Amino acid sequence: MHKKSKSRLGRKAGKWPYLFCLPFLLSYFLFSLFPMLYSFELSFFDWNGIGQKVFVGIRNYVTLLTKDPLFLKSLKNTVILMGFSTPITVILGMLVAYFLFDIGRGRRFYQTVNFFPYITTPVAIGFIFSYLFDWQSGYINKLLVAVGVLDEPYFWLQDEIAAKVIIVIMVVWRYLGYYMTIYLAAMTALPGEVYEAAAVDGAGKFTIFCKVTVPMLKNTTMFLIVTSIIGGLQMFEEPKLLFSGWASVGTGQSGGPGQTALTMVWKFYNDAFNLDSRLGYGSAIAYTLFVIIIGFSLIGFKLTNRKEEKHER
Amino acid sequence: MSAKTKKRLSAVGKQMILIVMTFLMFFPLYIVFIMGTYYSEDIFKGIPVLPSDYLWENLKMVFSKGFVRAYINSIAVSAGSVVISVVVSTMIGFALAKYSFRGKKLILGFVLAVMMIPGQISLIGYMLEMRMAGLNNTLLPLIFNWAAHPLGAFLMVQFISDGVPDELLESARLDGCSEPGLFFKIVIPCIRPGFVTLATMIFLWSWNNYVLPVIIVNKQELFTIPLMVNNLSNAFRSDYGAIMCALSLSILPMIVIFSLCSKTFIKGISAGAVKG
Repeated sequence: MHKKSKSRLGRKAGKWPYLFCLPFLLSYFLFSLFPMLYSFELSFFDWNGIGQKVFVGIRNYVTLLTKDPLFLKSLKNTVILMGFSTPITVILGMLVAYFLFDIGRGRRFYQTVNFFPYITTPVAIGFIFSYLFDWQSGYINKLLVAVGVLDEPYFWLQDEIAAKVIIVIMVVWRYLGYYMTIYLAAMTALPGEVYEAAAVDGAGKFTIFCKVTVPMLKNTTMFLIVTSIIGGLQMFEEPKLLFSGWASVGTGQSGGPGQTALTMVWKFYNDAFNLDSRLGYGSAIAYTLFVIIIGFSLIGFKLTNRKEEKHER
Repeated sequence: MSAKTKKRLSAVGKQMILIVMTFLMFFPLYIVFIMGTYYSEDIFKGIPVLPSDYLWENLKMVFSKGFVRAYINSIAVSAGSVVISVVVSTMIGFALAKYSFRGKKLILGFVLAVMMIPGQISLIGYMLEMRMAGLNNTLLPLIFNWAAHPLGAFLMVQFISDGVPDELLESARLDGCSEPGLFFKIVIPCIRPGFVTLATMIFLWSWNNYVLPVIIVNKQELFTIPLMVNNLSNAFRSDYGAIMCALSLSILPMIVIFSLCSKTFIKGISAGAVKG
């Protein structure tokens, strides 16, 4: 019956489903696919956008991967930043959601306030943290000196490791509320009987959480890890504004001390638009980034899957 | 009895942890809002905790530097993005959710596949394309960018297949309703919550977008809010009170919008994630 009505629907509708799809497909072609292919073509050229286009074959890619230490550095930086921020946010997000799950009062309030960082303009986040951790006028230094932890202000943003830690803090701060919300929704969607069965077996609340809830949230965790990897590899605004936001940081150095905060997209931005206008080289960076993102996403899928198998055994 | 006390204790403990955490999460934003009310030099004197009385002066300073214009630009861009994106996504969502036709699987697969593609690979081409079309230094490229949003299309497929009953479409057809009529009279009213969700998300993303405006827009008159923030230390030099005030103004609209419709928004954002 159901099938029959569907096929009749299809015959009668004729051109309409195609017409409904058309605006999307057309605008995708115009504003995404064509620019993508154009960028791909450009990645085999040397061009600054104005002068003569010079075909260089795969030389952009070769240079990028073998002769550009800054790119490898930016890849390393990005992976390190992501490698810390992703697990911290996932674990914290899950824990906070667990705390929020059966709390009676104020759930909506906590959820709303913790979500604020996620909706804050990323540029502003970089700016805010560049102030908080500023050397002379920064709030953190003033607080630490007042409390007596530090004798004199510490130049956080000039320290390669501290700069990375601050970026991780920024990313965790920005996404925690979002992760928490997703986990909370997933927990609410779990069937209640599971908890009851485990409780009857005499398991404590935390044991239930570890043994029952966490494995059942597998799909959510996987989704969050993969999106976090995709997003993390494209990190840009926060580190950039951290080093060009608050004025007393000075010249707005690119990449932070010793290029410690230079992410791949920042490098892409610098080469293609900001410091240089090497559009071909920039396109090559973008496509390399694309391949890296696909690779990491696949690894992410694999890892989360394998972890689960272990749990089941 | 003891079990009851234990339960109460754990509830209090949880509240405490949550309060501390929420405080830490809100603190950076709070500081910015507070410092926006200070006279620049007073910021450095102590550790500001409570608001001061310089807000009005700071506001005047901020608005004298074209902040109103940036607001209008941002609102225009975000509103435009929302309209074009929601309409286009809903149309393809309707087709993929409620019709069966040749090539449907292919199109659905295509939408899912392109969802993972990062924006950077089209960025350079897009900039050049817009330049060739003579649209650089207009706000249109910032809107067109959202026209075909794969995640939006995917969400709409989900919302429409769950939210619009087949029977309703069938009976409207029997009453002689045309296919576009179905779209306007049945689909759109049925999925109003999904509509609001997608609209809020696109508004947020478009409002916060930074990379695209920074490479497309060079004229101060066309600056959006993120570009304004990017330019704060140039615009205000060492007037830190005004900088903080401008930062608060750039954050405030999203916080207000979100607080007003946080329920729909949270529901929508998690619906997409939990299902996907």
